[in-house]
Amino acid sequence: MEGQKTAHYKHGTPFQKELKNWLAALPFLLPSIIVFTVFIFIPLIRSIVLSMYGTNPIGQMTSFVGLKYYQRLFTSDQFINSLTVTLKFVLYTVPGVILLGLILSTLGNIRLKGISVFRILFSLTIAISGATAALLFMFLYHPILGIFNYLLSLIGVSAIPWLIDPKWALIAVAIPRIWLGTGFATVLLLAGMQGIPEEYYEAAKIDGAGFWQGWRLITVPLLTPSLFFLLVVTTLNAFQTFTEVNVLTNGGPINSTEVMVQSIYRSFYFNGQYGYASAQALVLFVIIMALTIIQFGVLEKKVNYE
Amino acid sequence: MKRSLIRILTVIILFGLFLQACTPAATKAPESATKAPEVATKAPSSEVVNIAFWHAMSGHNGEVIEELVKRFNDSQSAIVVTPTYQGSYDDSINKLKAGLQSKDVPAIVQVYDIGTRLMIDLGVMTPMQSFIDKEKFDVSDIEPGVANYYSVDGKLWSMPFNTSNPVLYYNKTLFKEAGLDPEKAPRTWADVTEYSRALVKKDASGATTQYGCSFAIYGWFVEQFLAVQGSYYVNNENGRAALATEATFNGQEGVDLLTWWKALNDEGICVNLGRATSDTKKAFDSGVVAMTLDSTAGLRDRIDAAAGKFEVGVGFLPRSEEADYEKSGTIIGGASLWITNLRPQAEQDAAWEFVKFMSSAESQAYWHIQTGYYPINSAGYNEPDDVAWRAKYPQFQVAIDQLHMAPINNYTAGGLIGVFPEARQTVETAIEECFAGTSSPKDALDKGAKSVTQAIVDYNDNIGQ
Amino acid sequence: MMKFLHFKNPIVKVLLYLLLIAGAVVMIFPLYTGVLTSFLGPETISSYPPKLFPVEFRWQNYIDASRQAPLLRFILNSFIQSGGVMIMQLITASLAAFAFAFLPFKGKNIAFLVFLSTMMIPWESTIIPNYLFIQKIGWTDTYQGLISPFMATAFGTFLLRQFFMSIPKDLYDAAKMDGCSNVRFLTSILLPLARPALGTLAVYSFLQTYNQYLWPLLITNSTNMRTVQIGITMLQVFEREQWQIVMAGVVTIMIPTLFLFFAANRQLIRGLTAGAIKG
Repeated sequence: MEGQKTAHYKHGTPFQKELKNWLAALPFLLPSIIVFTVFIFIPLIRSIVLSMYGTNPIGQMTSFVGLKYYQRLFTSDQFINSLTVTLKFVLYTVPGVILLGLILSTLGNIRLKGISVFRILFSLTIAISGATAALLFMFLYHPILGIFNYLLSLIGVSAIPWLIDPKWALIAVAIPRIWLGTGFATVLLLAGMQGIPEEYYEAAKIDGAGFWQGWRLITVPLLTPSLFFLLVVTTLNAFQTFTEVNVLTNGGPINSTEVMVQSIYRSFYFNGQYGYASAQALVLFVIIMALTIIQFGVLEKKVNYE
Repeated sequence: MKRSLIRILTVIILFGLFLQACTPAATKAPESATKAPEVATKAPSSEVVNIAFWHAMSGHNGEVIEELVKRFNDSQSAIVVTPTYQGSYDDSINKLKAGLQSKDVPAIVQVYDIGTRLMIDLGVMTPMQSFIDKEKFDVSDIEPGVANYYSVDGKLWSMPFNTSNPVLYYNKTLFKEAGLDPEKAPRTWADVTEYSRALVKKDASGATTQYGCSFAIYGWFVEQFLAVQGSYYVNNENGRAALATEATFNGQEGVDLLTWWKALNDEGICVNLGRATSDTKKAFDSGVVAMTLDSTAGLRDRIDAAAGKFEVGVGFLPRSEEADYEKSGTIIGGASLWITNLRPQAEQDAAWEFVKFMSSAESQAYWHIQTGYYPINSAGYNEPDDVAWRAKYPQFQVAIDQLHMAPINNYTAGGLIGVFPEARQTVETAIEECFAGTSSPKDALDKGAKSVTQAIVDYNDNIGQ
Repeated sequence: MMKFLHFKNPIVKVLLYLLLIAGAVVMIFPLYTGVLTSFLGPETISSYPPKLFPVEFRWQNYIDASRQAPLLRFILNSFIQSGGVMIMQLITASLAAFAFAFLPFKGKNIAFLVFLSTMMIPWESTIIPNYLFIQKIGWTDTYQGLISPFMATAFGTFLLRQFFMSIPKDLYDAAKMDGCSNVRFLTSILLPLARPALGTLAVYSFLQTYNQYLWPLLITNSTNMRTVQIGITMLQVFEREQWQIVMAGVVTIMIPTLFLFFAANRQLIRGLTAGAIKG
C-alpha cells in the first residue's frame, strides 16, 4: 500500500493536511463502514461479551464467568483436534484450488476455436452452492453404489470408504470444496490473464521466448495481484468451511472432519453453549487475523501491481 | 464518456427496479404468518382467530400437512391456521429459540422427540395436559406407548403427531436364495449373525458382492437397542423420575451391543456404510445388503424401490436374546405438537382446537396412509381407508405389533435430557472409535458417557438446576 | 504477425484439445451425474452398477419437486434478493476500493485490515444478533431484511482494489491535473476500465446470495417470502429421502443462474477483448 509518502505538503500543518485527506476518503468508505458496523462489528462486540457469560437455554446472558470458556478451550482435546482438522483442510484445499485454477485458466487463455465454451465449462462451478456440491458428492461417494468406487472397480482398484474411514473423510470433504473453488479461481485468473496486453507476449516472442518462458516471465508476474487476492480469500474461506462438512459428515467419523465452524455451530445451535461457542469464534477470528496480517506483511511486497 | 454514462444510467434504473420490487413486499408483510395475530387484534369486527403453525415436514409429508390444515380451516369458520415450513427439525427448534428472545413465536410448533426436555425447560409452553383437564378431554384413544414418551411428571406436555419405530427390513428373495425361510425374520442378535453368514456372497476374486446386513451408525438405534434390553440411557430412570445428571449408556448392555455389532463387521458378513441411514437404505434397495434397520415410516419407500427386484420383509428390532421380548420394548420416535404460552389465551385455545383435530382418528388415519407414520390415535386403525391401506401393505402389521407389545415403563419412555442431539452425536463417535479399533467397546462408551455427562451438567447449570 | 497464444502445430493442437476436454469432464462430471439422477425412478436410483448414462427421463420428478416446494416463487424472491445485494455491493465496493487504491490517508493499512476483518468472523456466530436487530426494526419477511446485512463486502472491496492498483497512478494524476474530481474519475474512467473485475464481482455476489440458506430461513416467516435454498430443504425428507426429487429441485434452481452466468460470461469476454488496459 503506497501513496501516503508522495503527498507534498503545500499548505497547512501536517495535521490539517491529514484531516483533509481523511475527509476526502471518508465519503468513499462510509457506506461500507456503516453496513459493517451495524451487521458485523456490533454483533462482534456482543460475541466478546457473550464469551464471558453463562446463558439460559435461549441464549440470554445470566452469569458472568470471566475467562472460563477460554481456559476450557485451550485445555480441551476437542478444540485442539478441530484446530488441527481445520489447518489440514486449509492445506488440502488452498493449494489445490490455486493450482487447478492456474492450469485451467492457462488452458482457457490459449486462442483456439471453441475456447469460449471451455472457459464457461471450467468456471461453471461458480454457480453452485456448497450445499448442492455436497449433495452431488454424497451420491458419488456411496461406498457400494457410488460412481467413484464403481469407476475405481473398473480399473481394478478396491473400494475407498470415502466418508466412513477417518483417514479418507477429510479428503472426501475437501474435494467438493476444491471443485467449487476452482471455478471461481478460473474466472478470476482468466480475467486477469486477458487483461495482459498481447504486445507483451509478442515482445517476448521476438526475444525468443517459448510458451513456458512467456508464461513464467510475463503471465505469472502480471497475475500476482489476482493470485494474492485468491490466496488470501481462499484461505479465509477455507478456515470457515462448514456447509460441506455439515452435509457430508457432520464432523465424523471420530471427529476427523470436525472443522472449527462445525464445532462452533454445534456448540451454538445444539448444545446451547452460547458463551463457549462465542469464545471459539473469537479465537478463530484472532487466528485468521494473524495469518492475514502475515500474508500481507510477507507476500504483498512481492505483488506486482503495475 | 457516453458509454460510461449509459452504464451509470443502467445502474440507476436497476436500482430503481430494486426499490420498486421492495415496495410490494413492505406492504405485504403484515399479512404474513406471524403478523397474523396483529391483524386479528386490529380487526375485532370479525371473530376469526388467526394462528401460526410452524412445522418441519417437507416433501410429500409437507403436502399432507398442508392438506390437513386446509381441511381444518374449511371445517369451521372461527379459526384460521397458517402452516409454515421452518426447515428441518434442527432448524425449526433453533428458529424457535431465536424467536423466543424477541417473543416472536407461533401458537403451535412441531418439535422432534429428543427436543422434549429442552422445550419444557424453555418455560414458555402450555402443557397439553392443562387443556385436557380443563375440558375433561377423553384421551383413551391416544396410544399409551406414544403418550408415555411425551408425558413428564405425570403431565402430557405435547400432543404426539408423527410417530415411528425402528424395524428390521429384510430381502425375502435373497433369503430364499440362501436357503432361509423368507417368512421368518431373525429375532435375536445370534439369528442376525447366523443369517448374515448364510447371506454373504463373494465373487471369484474374493471380493464381497452381497452382505448379510448393514446398520447405519445412528444414535437412535443405540437408544432402541438399550431400551429393549431394559437399560437406561441416562440415570434417574432415563431422567423420568428426576432430572438426569449422568449418562449411563456405557453399561454392560451397551458394551454387548457394540461387541456384537463390531464382530459382524469384522467377520465381513456385514458392512459399515457410515452414519447416513439413507446410504444403508440405498444399499438395501439395490439388493447388495440383505438386512437393514430403519424407521417404520420408510416402509412404503422400501417396497416401491424394491418393485420388480425383490420382496421386502419386516421383522422386529432384533433383541440380544429371546428373553428380552418379555422384558422391555422399543421407544417411539418422531415429533409432537407444542402450544406456546406467549400467545394470547384466545390463540392458545384455538391452537388446542387444531391439535384435537390433528390427533383425531380421521386425521391420523389420513396421515398414516399418506406418510407411513403410525396413527397416534388407535381409533385411526378402524377408519376404512386405513384398513384398506394395511391390506395393501401387510408388512406394517409387524410395526403395529412392535408398538403394542412394548410395556409402558421408563425404559420405553426413552431418555429425557436437554442435550440429546449432542448426546446422539457423541454416541455415534464412540461407535466409530470402536469400529476403527482405536478403543475397545467399553473404553469408547466410557469416554462418550463422560462427555455427555459433562454436557448434561453444564445444561443443568444453565437452566439453574 | 505471429501471435503468442496461438498454436499452429496440429499435434500440439490435438493435445491441447485433449487437455481441455479432460479439464471440462472433471469440472462437469458431478453436475452431469446430478442431472442424470434427477431423471431416475425410485427403483433405478438404487441399482448396481450405478448409471453412467441416461436410462430414463422421468419428468415426474420435476413435477413432484415443483409441487412440494413453490420453486418458481422462490426463484423470483432469490432473484430480487441477489440482484439487490449485487447492486449494493458493486456500489459500496467500488467506492471503498477507489479510496484504498488511489487516495492517500493515514492509517490506510489499518483501515483496510479492519475491512478484511469482516471476513474473519464466522457468520454462524453473529447471525442471531442480526436476526434480533432486523426483527426489532420490523424488517422480518421483507426484501430489505434479506438484503441489508450484505450491502457491503470486504471481498468485493479487496477484489476491486487489486484491480484498481494495477492501473497506473499516472492516469489518476493526469485526470486530477485536468481538474477531474474523484467521483468523476471513478465513474467515467476507472469503472469502465474495471469492467472485467466488476463483472466477476457481480457474478460472485449474485450467486453467493442466491445460495444462502440460514439467513433467509431465519428472517422470513411466510412461504411466499422464502428463497431457493429453503426450497431444496423442503424436498429433503427426514426418514423418507427421495433423492431423485431433491436433484430435480437442485437442477431447477440452478437453471436460471446458469443462464445468467452464460450471459455475464459472454459480456465479460467481450469487455475484455474490446478494451484491455494499456500499460
